[in-house]
Amino acid sequence: MTTDHALLGLATIMYLGLFFVHILYFTWQKKALLSFAQYALYGTVIVQAAGMAMRWALSYRLGIGHVPLSNYYESLIFFSWSISVFMICMRKRSLYPVITFIAAGISLLLMAYASLSSGVEKGIQPLIPALQSNWLHIHVITCFLGYAAFVVSFICGVLYFFRPGKIVPTRESLESINYRSIIIGFSMLTSGILTGAVWAHFAWGSYWSWDPKETWSLITWIIYALVLHLRFTGGLKGRRIAILSIAGFASVIMTYFGVNFFLVGLHSYAT
Amino acid sequence: MTVIKSSKKGGGPVFRGIPAFRFLTSVRLTITTLSLIAATSIVGSLVEQGASEEEYLSHYSERAYHFIKLFGLDDAYHSPWFYFLVVIFAINLFLCTVHRLKRLSAAKGRQVPDLAALVSSGAGFITGSANKSEVVRRIGPAYKRERVTETTEVFEKGRFSRYGVIIIHTSVLMVLIGGLVGNISGFKAYLALRPGEGASAAESRTPGRSAVVFGFAVKCTDFRVSMYPSGQPKEYASDIEILDEKGNVLKRGRIRVNEPLSYKGIYFYQSSYGRSNVYTFKADGRTVDIGDREIVRDTKVPFMVVRYAEDVHNFGPGVMVAYMDGDEPKTLWFLKNVEKMRKHVVKGSRIVLENINGQYYTGLEVSRDPGVPAVLCGFVMMLIGLYTNFFTSYRRIYVAHGTDAIIVAGIASRNKEGFIEDMKRIGEGLP
Ligand code: HEM
Repeated sequence: MTTDHALLGLATIMYLGLFFVHILYFTWQKKALLSFAQYALYGTVIVQAAGMAMRWALSYRLGIGHVPLSNYYESLIFFSWSISVFMICMRKRSLYPVITFIAAGISLLLMAYASLSSGVEKGIQPLIPALQSNWLHIHVITCFLGYAAFVVSFICGVLYFFRPGKIVPTRESLESINYRSIIIGFSMLTSGILTGAVWAHFAWGSYWSWDPKETWSLITWIIYALVLHLRFTGGLKGRRIAILSIAGFASVIMTYFGVNFFLVGLHSYAT
Repeated sequence: MTVIKSSKKGGGPVFRGIPAFRFLTSVRLTITTLSLIAATSIVGSLVEQGASEEEYLSHYSERAYHFIKLFGLDDAYHSPWFYFLVVIFAINLFLCTVHRLKRLSAAKGRQVPDLAALVSSGAGFITGSANKSEVVRRIGPAYKRERVTETTEVFEKGRFSRYGVIIIHTSVLMVLIGGLVGNISGFKAYLALRPGEGASAAESRTPGRSAVVFGFAVKCTDFRVSMYPSGQPKEYASDIEILDEKGNVLKRGRIRVNEPLSYKGIYFYQSSYGRSNVYTFKADGRTVDIGDREIVRDTKVPFMVVRYAEDVHNFGPGVMVAYMDGDEPKTLWFLKNVEKMRKHVVKGSRIVLENINGQYYTGLEVSRDPGVPAVLCGFVMMLIGLYTNFFTSYRRIYVAHGTDAIIVAGIASRNKEGFIEDMKRIGEGLP
């Protein structure tokens, strides 16, 4: 077992720990557990980053050096990392334990899926020529930060249907966090689509070719644009915005996972 | 936001009284068209695009295929009604933006909001008149000071933030216009060249369109591919020359994946490569080089290679040659390594297979898209607009004189929590 896999394995276990610390907090309501969880989250993010950095270094030793953002396995890890980084960035904005709890659960699922599924190639692979572009990095990073923001929006959408109380925040707080996440997610997704288009322009000679992944990212983008506009007309609020946040996230899932499994296209290297 | 009362100043938008215009500027229409565009895209991503009739019939029933054809779902993104949706959407967006721009420039005579209500919501405070200079000092020089009424002053920051939405909407229009220009006057084509070969036209990617003529010639002088140890391609590149009719070199360059070369608005992209064979024959004493399916005509009957096999019954490489015997097509095998099978007499012509040479060819994507600058400009504007709209905020702080106290209260278009904190800081410790 190489160092990068060891570190990423450790990060997975730390996500599991983080998940359980939250459960303990919900049962005992001890403030100390919460601040422990906060430091554990920092630790996890650092370990996971170290794992990715090792993988980066290792790829150079193999003579095929590239940033570890180039295949499905690496993107899963980066996705889970982005969610945690987003959590830390939102920290100041009164993020609730229940949100960090679910987010840790999702990160854990992504990591577990990445390392346990036999369908995910875990080796460091050489980059095909089309991927040898600096646009790749900025494209992938902006897309996944956007997806991470939409994860939070999705969590708020789901929590909206639970009764507010000790664990679930008030509906106003959920709506406000949801809106803020959608703003960041929408801006990042836009940047992701645009950098992708510029890259496609240089690599394939066409900035938009209606390939299924592009098409689904456009659909996702339209759904969130609709959410933003619906707020202004008839001031759509509450339940319906919550439902649309869930629908938007379903479209994110389709863009990221679904297209790889159900549809084929230029982007199918990601499988 | 949809129904906006016409303002007195700035030439009130009279046309909004007309129902058709009100419909065309409504956000409701935006929501409908955007939803329909999304729905079409979903269908387009699920139904295979641009496949042949047989392919559809192998997946779908006859009736489903008629349905697909009827609504143009086999080419959904170019179907008339998809264009119709995009046009309606663009008109909607354009009118909306013009309208909003008018409204913004007309919004001069600002009204003072209900300051008492703002104070009770936390975004303000009341303090003694003597503290005014301290309040002004704490608001700071970043805010622009202006008198609104006899007793009220306003301190403003980030007015530009309000233009964010307009920048975003205009940028979407720019992208659509760029796309339209590209669609009308651009082309996409494909060209395969062996080193040494040249061409002055390429096969259009649009089915049914004739070849695209460049107005100059392009020649591949060299092609190289390097591999990873695993055998996957690591890099491939072509050396390209652009020539005029007389054969003078106008431009020279190397193209790689991700690094195209352009000449007079036509871009050449390295998109693929492959290997094809060159067969050297001696026919009636003359040597000819041909590729797959190329016809040799200077023998008594024309012939061509229709098949290549690396190993024919353990006798090594061979090719199947076809020719016409009267009305009947005939085929004949030539084996390169078997002396007796290297030569045949075909209808009186003596044909010898001299050599089979594997050779790379480079696959070039050729495109011209005059809409790209508009699209790229739209992209940059969209990012600026998103930043301006979402991450800057238009803040106003009003300072109003009462008899012996002043009311300080304000409004922010974004990040209201942050604004309330700032207001607390301004009012901190003042009696
Ligand atoms: C895909 C195209 C569009 C995009 C990406 C887009 C984007 C946006 C964004 C990001 C906002 C700001 C939302 C916020 O501040 O929360 C906005 C606001 C708005 N948009 Fe659009 N928009 C589009 C099309 C349209 C169209 C066609 C209309 C025409 C009716 C329209 C009307 C409005 C209005 C009225 C607002 C509210 C502005 C305000 O008063 O703050 N949008 N749009």
